Amino acid sequence: MGVVVKKVELSWLDRTYVWPVMKGMGITFRHFIKQLFTPTSKRYTIQYPDMKKQMPAGYRGLHELKRFEDGAIKCVACFMCAEACPARCISIEAEEFSNLNFTQGFEEKRPQVFKIDMLRCIYCGMCEEACPKDAIWLRNDYEVAAYDRLSMQFGKWDLMNTYAEADGKERISEDPIPSVPRRAIAM
Amino acid sequence: MDTLASLLHTSPAIAWMGVKIVIVFSAVMLLASVWTWVERRGAAMIQDRIGPNRAALFGKIRILGLAQLLADGIKFFFKEDLEPTDANKGLFWLAPFLAFVPAMMGFAIIPFGRDFTSGGHVYHLSVLDPGNGMGMLYPLAIGGLAVYGVLVAAWSSNNKWSILGGMRSSATMVSYEIGMSLAVVSLFMTTGGYDPSEIIAAQGHLPWHWNVVPQFLGFIVFFTCMFAETNRLPFDFAEGESEIVAGFNTEYGSMKFSLLALAEYAHLMTASALVATLYFGGWQVPFVAHPSVGLSILSFLIKMLFFAWVFVWIRWTLPRFRYDQLMHLGWKAMLPLSMLNLIVHAWLMSHGR
Ligand code: SF4
Ligand code: SF4
Repeated sequence: MGVVVKKVELSWLDRTYVWPVMKGMGITFRHFIKQLFTPTSKRYTIQYPDMKKQMPAGYRGLHELKRFEDGAIKCVACFMCAEACPARCISIEAEEFSNLNFTQGFEEKRPQVFKIDMLRCIYCGMCEEACPKDAIWLRNDYEVAAYDRLSMQFGKWDLMNTYAEADGKERISEDPIPSVPRRAIAM
Repeated sequence: MDTLASLLHTSPAIAWMGVKIVIVFSAVMLLASVWTWVERRGAAMIQDRIGPNRAALFGKIRILGLAQLLADGIKFFFKEDLEPTDANKGLFWLAPFLAFVPAMMGFAIIPFGRDFTSGGHVYHLSVLDPGNGMGMLYPLAIGGLAVYGVLVAAWSSNNKWSILGGMRSSATMVSYEIGMSLAVVSLFMTTGGYDPSEIIAAQGHLPWHWNVVPQFLGFIVFFTCMFAETNRLPFDFAEGESEIVAGFNTEYGSMKFSLLALAEYAHLMTASALVATLYFGGWQVPFVAHPSVGLSILSFLIKMLFFAWVFVWIRWTLPRFRYDQLMHLGWKAMLPLSMLNLIVHAWLMSHGR
C-alpha cells in the first residue's frame, strides 16, 4: 500500500517566501534573545566540570558496599551478586570470622576479597537486586574514570569507601573483627 | 599624513593609499575572523545552546570564548597539509587564494566614511577613490570572479563530491547574477551614477530617502542574490554538507581550508557592506546632515555588521534550498521581479516623478 502524500497548498502570502522567512527569523530571534538573557545556571546546557548534574534518586552509578555502624561489612559473601551479574565482573573470595560476644561462637562469613571490574560493569543494578542483605548499592556517582586499567579494578576497601566523603563517614581499611585462621576440621 | 609620507619618501597620496589598504584589509580580515566566532555563538544561542566559550587566553582569561579564533588559527596552522595523490597540485594550491583574493578585493570600492579635507588634500575613505571609472561594476565583476575559487578548488581536488559542488556553484551563479545586476542597474538609473559615493550622496541622510524604501523589491532581490553569491545557507549548494560531504572543500585541510573558510566570511563582509552602501545609505548617519568622520565610519560599521548578522541569522533560520529550486527562484522569480523593478522605475522617471 502506497503512502498518500498530502500536498500542502501554500497560500499566496506563503508563496512569496518573504513573509514566512520573516516569521522564521522572528522565531529564531526570540530563541536568541531568550538564551542570551538566561543566566548560565538556568540554561539547558550543564557545563560539566564547572556544574554537575544532580542525579535522580534510583540512578545506577558507582557501587558502594554498605557497612554497619561499627564498620563491619554488611556483605555475607553469599555470591548471589556474582551469580546475578550479567557481565560477570564481580569476584568474591570468602573468609570466616567469629565474634564471640555477638555470635556466641558461631562462625560468620564475609568477603576477604570483593572485586568489581568497573571496566566490564554495565551498571545494570542486578547485583543490588540480588543481594539478600542490601549490602551493595548503586548510587549517584557517575564519574568513574581512571588513567589505567588496573585502577579500574575496585577492591573491597575501595568499594566500601566510595561514598565515604559524600556521606561524611570515615574511611575504613580494616575489619573491626579479625578473621579466624582456617582450622583443620577435627573429626 | 604629510610627515608619514616624507618619512617614507613618497607622496602623501601614495602614503594615504598604503594606510587605507592596511586599515581596510586588516579590518576586513579581523571582522571576518571574528565573524566565525559570532556565527558559532549566534548559532548556538539561536538553538538554545551555548557555543564555544571555553577557549581562554593563558588558560585564564575567557572573554566569552573569543580566544577560540586564536586556538582555531593555531590549530589550522600546525595541521598536516595533505593533498590527494591525484589532485592537480598547482590548481589545488591556487584555489584558496583564488577564493580569498576576490572576496577581499570587492571591499576596495566601498566608501566606509565621509571624505575629509586636511592640509589642502581631500582624503577619501575608500581604497579606490571615487571617479575611477569602475564604480559599482567593479564589485559585480569581482563577485563574478569569486566562483572561480570554488570551481578551481572543486576541479583540482579530483573528487566526485567536489566536482558536484563546483558544478552546482557555477550553475547557480549563472542563474542569480542577471537578476542581481538588473536590480543594481535600476539603482544606477534612479541615482544617476554608478559610483558608490554618488549613490550614497544621492540617498541623503533621511532614512526614508534611502534606496530601500523606493526600491524594496530590488533590495529583496539583491539581498537574496548576495546569499547565493557568498555561498551561504540557504543557498550553499557548493558545500551542501548533508548531501555531498563538504562539496568543493572536501579535500581541503589545514591552512588551505582555513583560507577557504575565511574567504567565505570576507565575502560575507563585502556583501553586507555592499547592501549597506547601495540600499541603506552607506556612511550616512540618520537625521544628521553633516556627520563628523568618526560618526560616519561608526554608522557604516553598524549597518554593515547588522547585515553581517542578518546573514548569520538567516543561515540558522532556513533550511537549504534544493538546487533546482534556486534555479527556479533565479530565473522565474528574481529575474522577472528585478525587471519589473527596473521598468517601474524607468516609467516613473520618464513621467518626471
Ligand atoms: S551493576 Fe550489573 S554489571 Fe555491574 S556489578 Fe552489578 S550486576 Fe554486575
Ligand atoms: S554483596 Fe550481597 S549478594 Fe553480594 S555476596 Fe555480599 S551479601 Fe551476597
